[in-house]
Order: sequence, then structure tokens, then C-alpha cells
Amino acid sequence: MRSEIQELWRFRELLVSMVQRELKIRYKNSAFGFLWSLIVPLVTVVVMTLVFKFFLRNGTENFSAYVLAAYLPYMFFQFALLDSAQSVLGAIQLVKKIYFPREILPLSLIIGNFIHFVLALGVFFLYLLAVWVRHPGISPFRAEMLWLPVLLAINFCLAAGIGLLCAALNTFYEDVKYFLSVILYVTFFLCPIMYFSEDVLYSKMVPEGQRELLYTIYHLNPIAMLCTAYRKVLVAPGPIKQGTETIAPIPLDWGLLGVTAAISVAMLVFGYWTFNRLKWRFVERP
Amino acid sequence: MSDPAIHLDDLRKEFMLSHSGAASIKTLLLWWKRRTLERDEVLRGVTFDVHPGECVAVLGRNGAGKSTLLGLLARVIKPTSGEIVVRGRIAPLLELGAGFHPDLTGVENVFFNGVILGLTRKEVAERLDRIVDFAEVRRHIDAPVRTYSSGMLARLGFAIAVHVDADVLLIDEVLAVGDYAFEQKCYAKIEEFKRNGGTILFVSHEMQDVRRVADRCLWLERGRIVDEGPPEELIPRYEAAMARPTEGL
Repeated sequence: MRSEIQELWRFRELLVSMVQRELKIRYKNSAFGFLWSLIVPLVTVVVMTLVFKFFLRNGTENFSAYVLAAYLPYMFFQFALLDSAQSVLGAIQLVKKIYFPREILPLSLIIGNFIHFVLALGVFFLYLLAVWVRHPGISPFRAEMLWLPVLLAINFCLAAGIGLLCAALNTFYEDVKYFLSVILYVTFFLCPIMYFSEDVLYSKMVPEGQRELLYTIYHLNPIAMLCTAYRKVLVAPGPIKQGTETIAPIPLDWGLLGVTAAISVAMLVFGYWTFNRLKWRFVERP
Repeated sequence: MSDPAIHLDDLRKEFMLSHSGAASIKTLLLWWKRRTLERDEVLRGVTFDVHPGECVAVLGRNGAGKSTLLGLLARVIKPTSGEIVVRGRIAPLLELGAGFHPDLTGVENVFFNGVILGLTRKEVAERLDRIVDFAEVRRHIDAPVRTYSSGMLARLGFAIAVHVDADVLLIDEVLAVGDYAFEQKCYAKIEEFKRNGGTILFVSHEMQDVRRVADRCLWLERGRIVDEGPPEELIPRYEAAMARPTEGL
């Protein structure tokens, strides 16, 4: 694996070019350009907030901020995986003709999506500032925010690992990308995006003694853990109001976040290893 | 005698041949319908050297293994066994538009193709004017290449490949592109490339091209080199063999 990383480093200029190309191509023929990266999550969040406030009687203050804080990373994850699954097949003509480290194809798409995600987080911070102006009690400047780079790093490793794996497997079995969309659809509901991780801990369906266990198992899903962590780090915690009930926020579980970090790094190593094992067979798959 | 630019020793390549279509999870699961795989030996021990400044043409029927040979030299596929040594940088002349993105402008595509062929962006920037002038697309260079004619694309592709200062140029079929005047320019550029010590390996069915630029020809038949020699000697023999009906191939 070491020689592969050295080879990738030798081709870093190509990786940078591919990322630039990726960012240029995406919105090349649309008038709103990068704004589309914001419009989609914003519309989703507005719809979700309205539904939850009016139909499901969720009275939590600053609800939209909670949704955005988890939905933006989820969107990055989703697009990075779906894009990289297609990356090798999409460039197969190039792959057949010329040598370069093949991992550059999925990596450039993952990095491109990551840059969009970071920009979207910047806009999200502007939103938090706007909230602060209206509600001086909810300050966007919090010490916890310093943990954001760590979360981003974990998130990137996880996306890159699974992305490389999907890219390699989808080249041989195109079922992978359909399977992936189903999995991503299910995971969306298994992540605290439309609800709170606190809702999991206080679930009425589970007997009192087993709620902690459910909470832990739930957060062994690294994406769910990341969504929870982004929320805790980005948005000031406040009481969660569901109908007539009020739940106090739970602080971030650093042990579980550590597990997610370990899973993510392991995933990156495994994904890269698998990709390298399969990459020479991309052009000669029977 | 200087060291060869390309050195091949007993090069072999086997492919797996599938008889039941594309791969899918289905073929993994339906084990009773497991597709039959067959080994197909495309190259069966190819040995030759090409020296710097030499231009070698590979002749042969469809399926003789010519493109596989170029693929191995371009490091796109790995040999089953045997040795390949290529000294210096290799630039495959990409066929029409393989490396072009239709929505990007000519300049952006030149940069991307230059980098993929091993230049840094700074080096591409230094060569940009020469490439654009050679390809004669100055007026359109800031337009997306989807608006280009196929002739313009071919000229731009050729111009990039010959300006990256590769040591070895691999050419599959497309040697000279465009109208008569541009073709002459291509030939002149290839001559210049050879004079400067560049090595060319090309595959062509156009005997005129071969006569014009090749110093030596290799005749590939069913994965083996069956004959070799200067074009004026080998081409008549080759053409005579091609004129005969194929013998049990």
C-alpha cells in the first residue's frame, strides 16, 4: 500500500486538476451554479421544519438549525458515495487508454463534494449568525466548534473509504449502485436528521432498562454518530419539545465518537486496499 | 548502440473471455448458470527492442494483438508474464475526445490532457500557445469543445500529444489527421520528433502512413511476431498475404 500512496503523491497534480475540473463541470451549464448546492438542502429544511412544527407539533427552538447541521453532512456523504460508485465506469474510455492511479477518479469526486460541503457549512454559519441577531440567547460562537475539523476529518475518511470500495465493486457489479441508493435511503431514517438522538434514548417502544443499549447500538452506525456529533458541535443545545413533553439535551458521547473515528479509518484502509487489489482488472473485466 | 527506448522480452498476455454477457451480482448468485470463462491468449511471447529516434509500425489483422500490445506499453494493462522496459515518459495519442470533456473550453481541456500525460500545469501553460497554434483552433479555444468539429478535436488531440515532450509516442490508427495541409504538418512534426530522439510505436492499417514514417515494421499474427523488416520489404509480403483468403483463422 505504501508504494501506491507514493504513486498517488507523484500524481497529485492530476488529482488537483481533476478536482478543479469536477467543480467546474458540475454547474457549468446552469445559471444559478453553486447556489443549487444550497437551494436543495434549504428547501428540504424549510419543508421539514414546517411539517414538524405544524403537523407533528415539535416546538423545539431553532429546529431548522438542528436539521441543517445533520442534513448537510448526510448530503455530502450521499453524493460522494453515489458519484464515486460511478466514477470508474464513467471514465472507462480514459482508463482504457492511459495510465494514472485509478483511485484519482473516485477521490477527485469525493474531494469535490467535500469542498461543496465545506462551502455549504460556511453558509450555514451565516444562518446561525442571522438566528443570533433575532435570538441573542443562541450564540453561534461556541468553544465546541473547534472540534469541527476533527469531525470533518473523520467524515472524509469514512466517505473516502466507502467511496473507494463502491467505485471498485460497481465497476464489476453494477448492482452496487442500486444497492447503495437503497441503503442510503434507509440510513437517512436511521440517522438523527428529522428527529433527535435524544428521541432514541427516550423511545417509548423500548423498556426502560434497554434504552442505553439501543442508544449505543444506534450510534455504532458511523453516519448516525457523525450526524449527532455535528449537531452537538455546531448548534447550541436547547430543550427538545415534542408535543407536551420536554427532553433535556444529552452531551456528546466521546467514547462513541472514538469508535466512529476508528471505524472510519479502518474503512479507509480497507476501501483503499480493496480498490488497489481490483484496479488492474477494471479494463479487463470479462 | 544506445540502450533501447522500448525493450520487450517474451511478453505474454491472457484475457478471460466471457460467453454470457456483462458481469452482475446475478452471475455471482446464480451459480448453476455460472458463466463459462475461457482463457484467450492474445500475446504469445513477443520480444523486440525499439531504439531512441526509431519509428516502428506494427502490422497485423484485426485481433492479432496490436492494441493489446499498445495497452501493455501504456501500462493500462499488466502482462501475464514477460518483461517490459520503457525508458522515459510515454504519451499515448488519445483517440478522438477520450480525454476531452465536452462542456469544458479548449484551454481547460488542454490543461487537463497535458496533466494527464504527465506535465505539470506550469509546463502546460508554457506550451499552451504552441499547442493552440499548431492545432489552428485559436479562435475557438475559449469555447466549450462540444462546439468543435471532429476535425478540430482531432487536431487539438494530436497537438497536445506531440507537445508534451514525451520520449515515446504510442499511436493507435490515427497518425495524421485533418485536411491535406494539416496532414503534412503532422508528418513534419513526427519527423521533428524523431530527429530529436523521440521513439514512436504505431499501429496502422494505412500502408501509405507506414511507408511514409516507419523505419521498421513488425508483423504480428495471432500474438506472435511472424516477420519484420524495413517497410519497402515487408509491406509487399504483408499485402500479398492479406490478399489471400484467411487461412482457418
